[in-house]
Amino acid sequence: MPETAIHIDGLRVAYGSFVAVNGLDLNIRRGELFGLLGPNGAGKSTTIRVLIGQRRPTAGRVSVLGHDVVRDWAAIKPLFGYVPDRENHFEEFTGRRNLEFFAQLYNVPRLRVRDCLRLVELEEAADVQVRGYSLGMRRKLLLARALLHEPQVLYLDEPTANLDIRSAEVVHRILRERVAAGATVVLTTHDMDEVEKICDRVGIVCKGKLVALDSPLALRTAHTERMADVILDSGERLAFDLDADTDRQKLAEVVRSGRTASVKTREFDFHATFLKLTGQAFE
Amino acid sequence: MRLYILRALLVKEVHRHLANRGGIALALLLIVAAVMLSMFNPGSGGADAGGGGLVGGVHRCVVQYADESPLVRELRASVPADLRPQVAFERMPPGEVDGLVTYPPGTGAIQIRTWSEAGRPVMKFEVWHPPGEPGAMAPYEAWFWRAARDAMQTWAAEDLRAAGGDPARLTTPDPAGGDLWAVRDSFRQLDEQVGRLRPATTTANPLPRIELERKGLGAKELDLRSAIATGMVVFALYFACVYLLPTLNCEERERGVLLAQALSPASPTEILAAKFLFYPTLGIALAAALAGIYNPAALSTLFFWMALVAMAAGFLGIGMTVATLAKTQRAAFMGSMCYLMSVSLILLICSQNGIPGVPYLALEFHGPRVLHAAVTGDVQSHHWLHLLAAGALAAGWMAAAGWLFRRRGWQ
Repeated sequence: MPETAIHIDGLRVAYGSFVAVNGLDLNIRRGELFGLLGPNGAGKSTTIRVLIGQRRPTAGRVSVLGHDVVRDWAAIKPLFGYVPDRENHFEEFTGRRNLEFFAQLYNVPRLRVRDCLRLVELEEAADVQVRGYSLGMRRKLLLARALLHEPQVLYLDEPTANLDIRSAEVVHRILRERVAAGATVVLTTHDMDEVEKICDRVGIVCKGKLVALDSPLALRTAHTERMADVILDSGERLAFDLDADTDRQKLAEVVRSGRTASVKTREFDFHATFLKLTGQAFE
Repeated sequence: MRLYILRALLVKEVHRHLANRGGIALALLLIVAAVMLSMFNPGSGGADAGGGGLVGGVHRCVVQYADESPLVRELRASVPADLRPQVAFERMPPGEVDGLVTYPPGTGAIQIRTWSEAGRPVMKFEVWHPPGEPGAMAPYEAWFWRAARDAMQTWAAEDLRAAGGDPARLTTPDPAGGDLWAVRDSFRQLDEQVGRLRPATTTANPLPRIELERKGLGAKELDLRSAIATGMVVFALYFACVYLLPTLNCEERERGVLLAQALSPASPTEILAAKFLFYPTLGIALAAALAGIYNPAALSTLFFWMALVAMAAGFLGIGMTVATLAKTQRAAFMGSMCYLMSVSLILLICSQNGIPGVPYLALEFHGPRVLHAAVTGDVQSHHWLHLLAAGALAAGWMAAAGWLFRRRGWQ
């Protein structure tokens, strides 16, 4: 059994003249919870589309659990679960009926439907038509569907969007459990707190290229800017880079002058790291 | 092809239609329309219109006469209650009755003509039945012959009484239903009895000599019943395969559920096979029901089922092609409607301008012809050629649809 669950080698995807993914190289390990980050249009969703076999690569090779996604697509399909960014249920069916249909396709017993509904806390609404579901319930039903066959690889596109804090916690718990069970989870998200909280590793893509790849902590340590924000008595706002000597001296002078209304250091967060990395990429 | 996947996909289609009842409602409306057409005459209208729709036979009988004679009054009074809604009496001058008389579909007629020959009146009863259905007037004839015989006997009895004869000696033979020879003989016997019983001193027999004739109605310019029936059968197939299939397929694509199915272990071939099985079956079942209402005997012919399968396959190919090319549900609806309009226009232009060859490339040229022949049971050798052409075109459409669907249908 290979240690690498997903191997992406020189992936390039072009839509006409627009290149969405440009030479992406990435290895995602088995049993890893991997976060794929990037601004809108960075190529995250296209990468996921290639991984699930919805989009053929223009160039490069992608393999999942040792199977080429283009050549062995039929063999890969039962191995992964996919939570799309846009919910796609049969609106006229109940939540239970939706899951039962896919359970039949995956040839899993009907009892598993009940387990999945319980897992995402949708038992009470199971027999309500999906058209009566809230956005959060719909997303949880998507997750339940992706978990039906206990896939070895799970792709999630914005899994906690529109979820309340408690439901998001439930999703995080489920994902950690899947990882603990040996599954590989790849998620895209814009929630930096979520990334820091649950991801083992993070890949930041921008303009179709991988600009950073490491654990959230390592990325934050390496890239977060250390800044001080000063508001003067006159209301003027100033920002000083604490890593630059000149800025440090200027800050000291301002503070000594006694004209400062407030001095604050910025929190070292992953959000800033992301902005810095993607901002660099745009320059 | 895995059966459990195919079964799941088919059950899903059934559940979707049970949940969205628009399709079922329209199918039921078609059935109701067929039954209603069977009960009400689409051609004649009017409150006194009897039957004459999709069901064969005569649903309205017109008794036409030149003069309001005692015989006509007697006949009018003797119409049985169960036939009263269907029987209409109509006065028609002798000149008109010899011209072109047009009856709506499902209508038969009994004309009473009178003239005199060598000083003796002659009365002729002409029974007009639909073409090829000599027995269709049987219920009306059963009443008419008995009533006419009784009226003639009453007339004869009065004449005998007036002439000093004994009317009680007149026997009343049964006119033996619809057997024209027996009826004719019954009138002849009555005529002979009157001749025998009348005193020799009296004047000549005043009773008319009776002539009988049964004829088929001609002028088969348009058989509205079979045209409507064929149209409904074609529409049922078109509705299921070229309208329902693409719109629901595109709805699945728009919602993303088609992609969800494609990402499951179900292969594109299995998804395609389920759709290929469900929609034609639905269309064929509906079409067969409509054809069965019109002509139950059509259901027992091989040609009918071959025609249905060929047309369903062809429409399925067209529907799947539309479904594959259209990105949205609205585009699918517009696509299927535009296709229908385009083909209709091409066929019309070719027909009006005598352009040869082109119509043979359209399934819609062969389809109605084979289905009409199948539904009416009037299959000629050239219909088999049309069926062959329809089958070949259907195979072409199916191949194109399959190829397109595998390439881009689920995306």
